Order: sequence, then structure tokens, then C-alpha cells
Amino acid sequence: MTKRENIDLLVWNFDFALSTFYEIESWQVEKLLPPRIIPMEVTPGVALINITVFNFPEGGLGKLPEFQELILSIIVLPDLSRDVPKFAMYVISLSSTCQEHLDHSSDYYKLPSFKKLSFGNIDKKNINVEFGDSDGKILTMQNCNPQANYRNEKRYFQAFTTKNEVIYVADIYIRAKLFDHQQSGYTGKLFNHPFFKQLEVEDTEPVSYLQMIAAPNVLGQQIYYRPKKFI
Amino acid sequence: MDQIKKELKQPYTEYTLDMFLRSAGKDHAEIHQFNRWREEVIKAGKYTFEIPHLYAQKSEIEVQRITGEKYNLINFASYNYLGYSYHPEVLSSAKEALDTYGLGATGSPLLNGTFNLHKIFERKLAEYFGLEGYGVSLFSSGYGANIGVISAYIHKGEHVVLDRSSHASLFDGALLSQGKITLFKHNDIEHLEKVLKRISHENSRVLICTEGVYSADGDYGKVKEIVQVAKRYDAKVLVDEAHSLLLAGSNGKGVAEEQGVLEDVDLIIGTFSKSFAGVGGCLYAKEEIINYINYYARSRVFSCAIDPAVTGGLIKALELAGGSDGKIKRVKIKKNAKYFRSKLFGKVDIGTSETWIIPVIYGHERITIPLSDFLHKEGVDISLMMFPAVPKNKSRLRVFVTSEHSKEHMDKGADAILKAAKKFGFLLDD
Ligand SMILES: Cc1ncc(COP(=O)(O)O)c(C=O)c1O
Repeated sequence: MTKRENIDLLVWNFDFALSTFYEIESWQVEKLLPPRIIPMEVTPGVALINITVFNFPEGGLGKLPEFQELILSIIVLPDLSRDVPKFAMYVISLSSTCQEHLDHSSDYYKLPSFKKLSFGNIDKKNINVEFGDSDGKILTMQNCNPQANYRNEKRYFQAFTTKNEVIYVADIYIRAKLFDHQQSGYTGKLFNHPFFKQLEVEDTEPVSYLQMIAAPNVLGQQIYYRPKKFI
Repeated sequence: MDQIKKELKQPYTEYTLDMFLRSAGKDHAEIHQFNRWREEVIKAGKYTFEIPHLYAQKSEIEVQRITGEKYNLINFASYNYLGYSYHPEVLSSAKEALDTYGLGATGSPLLNGTFNLHKIFERKLAEYFGLEGYGVSLFSSGYGANIGVISAYIHKGEHVVLDRSSHASLFDGALLSQGKITLFKHNDIEHLEKVLKRISHENSRVLICTEGVYSADGDYGKVKEIVQVAKRYDAKVLVDEAHSLLLAGSNGKGVAEEQGVLEDVDLIIGTFSKSFAGVGGCLYAKEEIINYINYYARSRVFSCAIDPAVTGGLIKALELAGGSDGKIKRVKIKKNAKYFRSKLFGKVDIGTSETWIIPVIYGHERITIPLSDFLHKEGVDISLMMFPAVPKNKSRLRVFVTSEHSKEHMDKGADAILKAAKKFGFLLDD
């Protein structure tokens, strides 16, 4: 991977992505954000967190083996001077079944890498996942809408992050066959686990607000730019 | 489906209004990006927002787009439910008041802006509702009534419990009060009870807010059940009768009357912009509450009183609605709404509608602008609601049926909707 370090974007091929946005009280997320980063509220007092799971097949990024990634972020106000994203995320926790990937994410993307996952089970057929590490189960997550209607899309997102008290922002494009829905239903369970930092998730049972799903086994691309200082 | 594919290729369909809400940077990027998007829609000739109407809000209207094109449309976008905005008696009462009192009230109601006309209107409204020891406080809008009343009644640290589908003015009132906001699922009394159980152990005031008729969904609020649960937890209840005053209940006093709980509701909010067809709002409550609100609702104290001409018109509208005219029109609007719903039911998704507000859920917000344009070209005006006003994938047309629509109007309106549904792919069995 070292050869790539001087380039400004990396293209990641994935064959599975499941992303759920959950409602959560704004006060819970505000305490995790630096002063200039403000949560986006869907209604007053209600913010969103996002949990996204990816499966990267072998060779999805250079020489890395197949691995799974789990990302937790808070949905925040975007920087519209860059462009208008679908959503802007402030990443607060990142986990992966691949240690090399975690190290690279921390170094290149300035992401808050959490410890390595001990298991990441993905059932592509039924679109449900289960993740955990040596501290126990982190979550289960599943699609709750059986009528998926996938469409080829190119979407723009922004990812904010903080490292050594410096705020960074990166542009991300997703090119994939995607489907969004807001069907209410069972989307899985979040467990009390250090991965969630100080968010109380198990007892409050946050309700799902929106799910974004990529067609399983169809190769999608994540075009992820090197973060820049947010000024 | 070709139409939809072509329209969805237009870059402006990728954006929803929430995306331009605010930018994290200190430059004004949201203003710049929003204007860029607006210009694109205008350039494509699809801009239907803020469209100037050339005459009164009758069932048939003429509008002129920013491009100069004029359209003759059947009007399903106005909440002029009983047609009072152009009723000759209402207009002559307004003209008389204009000649006597002049154009504006030129002052806050608490200081110098109150005319005897306002006092007459307050008294007549209180008599119309009819409860002993109750009174009315007037506001210059329904929005002002909600934000003023909630923020005066609830203080920092107390609780406002809102139905998820509540109108923005209820949310804004709750925000302004600095109380703690908790939401319950739309019309879900079990969930409301869970919420009350969780918060009411604290020794502080709890105000539950509901709407008589929900403005986005067109269903009735479960006022009776809410009142019952509220009593168990010693919470107070506010009912916003914006879309039900003069319409619901055997005498038009609203959904609280219809469900037999008028006396059990603590605060009733009315607006004069809908069935009254003027502008303004009110609180109906026990007199001692009214006296307090008159002094402490900031949107009332620090804003001008309703103008005299409108007040004159409102008095006449109330008189008409309280008499035989109102009785006939209430029967008519319910009959019309039932007919319109029956034309759409099973063919498109009208959600939980059971009133004169009929949403037609078309789902994806990306088709909003082309759809609005298409409906104009089919000769109907129907407003559209998109995310974040309603959930994503629940974007909807919102049809307002009035007592003044003829069967022919409704047939044409329903036909246009079904034609659009076929073209844009939201017909149920397509
Ligand atoms: C439920 C509800 N409450 C309050 C208002 C605000 O009323 P007004 O337009 O009179 O300010 C509206 C208006 O759309 C509404 O639908």
C-alpha cells in the first residue's frame, strides 16, 4: 500500500454495503462533536447517527485480503463550499476485520480506528450482518424492506474527522447500484459496547430513519479522497 | 416510464431543500448553492414555487409563472375550505371595517392596536365555542399563536410532547420555550403513554400537542384518547384545530367537539387563514389563561394586531359558519372529500386520510419538480410536500378539497392525478 501514499484518492471496490441511519437525541451526539461541527437534525431535538457496513472482496484495494468494515458516524451539517453532498458524516468509530486496513485508515484518512473486529458475519442473500470483537457483540443489522428497487447511482458524501485536535474533511463518491427506503421495521439491535463511545444505544433502542443498501454481489466503487484540513 | 427516466437525468432533481439548509463553513455557501439550484430549475422552465395568482382563490384560478406563461387551473392547493375568501358578504363586511378603521391596526394588541372590532370578534368566538368562563386571545397568525402560546406556557426544563407529524409551528413553539422536546409516533397512544411514563416522574409541567386534523396526513388526531392518557399523568393538552375549525364537529367547533372532549382540552388553537379564509390565529382557553397569555405570549405582545378589514371579514365568516351556511357547507365538504377519496382509493397511496386533506404519496422526492410542472400542464394546481417536511420516500401531493368544488372539478382533478401516477410510476397496481 505504501506506493499509493502520495496519491490523492483511492478507489475501493466493494460487493456489499448496508447503511442504516438511526434517530438519536441531539444532546447525546453534541457531546462527541468539536465546537464547529453541528449535528443535522431531522426535527428539533432529533439528530442522526449512521452505521455502515462494507464487505471488500480480496483485491478490492490493492493487495488486501477480503475484509469487513464497520463505521459509526454522526450526521452533521456539510461544507457546501465544496459541493452539495447527500449527507455529511463526522466519523466517531471505525472497526475492521483487517488490522492493516485499520492502520491505514488512521494514517491516511485520519479516522478514529477502533480495535480489530473478531467477527464480521455478512449474509449477503438476506442482507443481514452481525459484528463483534473481544468485548462482545457490537450489533446486528438487517434490511427491513423486502422490495428493493436498485438503481445505478453516483452519490457524493463528505466525511469529517478529528485527529490530534485538527478537523479534517474528505470527499467521497459512491458509484453503485443503490436503493434507499424509509420503511419502518426491525433493523437489528445495537448493544452497549465501547465501539459506540459514550452513546447510549442499547436501552434507548434508536429507531431506524433511513436505510441505504447496495445490491449484494454487484461490484460498487467508493472513491475516497485524501482528507484536507477543515478551515 | 420514459418520462420519468428523462426527467430524472436533470441535475436539479438530485437535490432536496434540506441539503441547502446550512453549511459548516463561515462563507455563505448554502446561499450560493441554493441559488444555483433555483436558477437551474428556472432555466429549465419548471419553477412553480411562489407562483403569482392573478385573481381570488376560487375553485378555478389563473396563475402566471416566472417565464410569463399563464395557466388556467382547477385549484386544489388552497385551504379556502368554505370559500369565504371571496364570499360577497365577507367582502362587504371587510370593506366596511376598512372604511371605518383604516388599513392597519398600527400597534400591538396589548398597547394601542386593539379596536372594538377585535373585542367583538373575541366575544363572538368565545360565544361560538360556548364554554362558561372561557375566553379568546387573538394573534396575527396561526403560526404566531402556536409559538406564542407554547413558549409562554412552558418554560425551561419543562416538557413538550409532540406527535411526530406535528406542524412546524408546534415544533418552533416548543423550541422557543426551551422545554425538553419528546416525540411520540404519529397517533400512537401506546407510545405516547410510554413517553409520559418516562418523563412525568419529574415534578415539572408536561404539555402534549396534537392537531385536530393532521395537515400532512389528513387524518384526525386522537384527541379523546390523548385527553384520557394525559389525565392519568397529570399532563396538559393543546389541540391545534387549524384544519378543523368551522369544519369538524356538528357545530364546526373542531375535532375536540366531534370527539366530545371540548371541555377537557386545556388549550385550543385556531387559525383564520384556512376555513375563515383571512389571516390570524387564536387561543381558546379558560379566561385566567387568556389573561396571562395576552401579556406573556411574545409573538402577540411584540407584533401588530390583525388588520381591521380582515377582522371585519372574519366576524362575518364566523357568523356565516355558525349559521345555516356553515351547516350546509360542512355537509358539502365532507361529501366532496369522500367522493374525491373514493376516486383515488386503491389506485394511488392516500395514506391514512379521512378528511378534506388528501395526500397522494408518490414517494421519491426527485420527481417533485417535474410532477408539479406536469400537473399544471394537465390543468390542476396541487401543492407538493417533500423531505424534510415529510419523511424521505414519503413525498406527496396534498389535495385540499373544499365545499366549493363541483363534481366536474373533482373528476378532472382525480383524472390528472391518476394520469400523473401512471406517467411517473406511482400507480398502485402498476
Ligand atoms: C396545523 C397548522 N398549524 C398552524 C398553522 C399556521 O397557520 P397560519 O398559516 O395561519 O399562520 C398551519 C398552517 O399551515 C397548520 O397547518
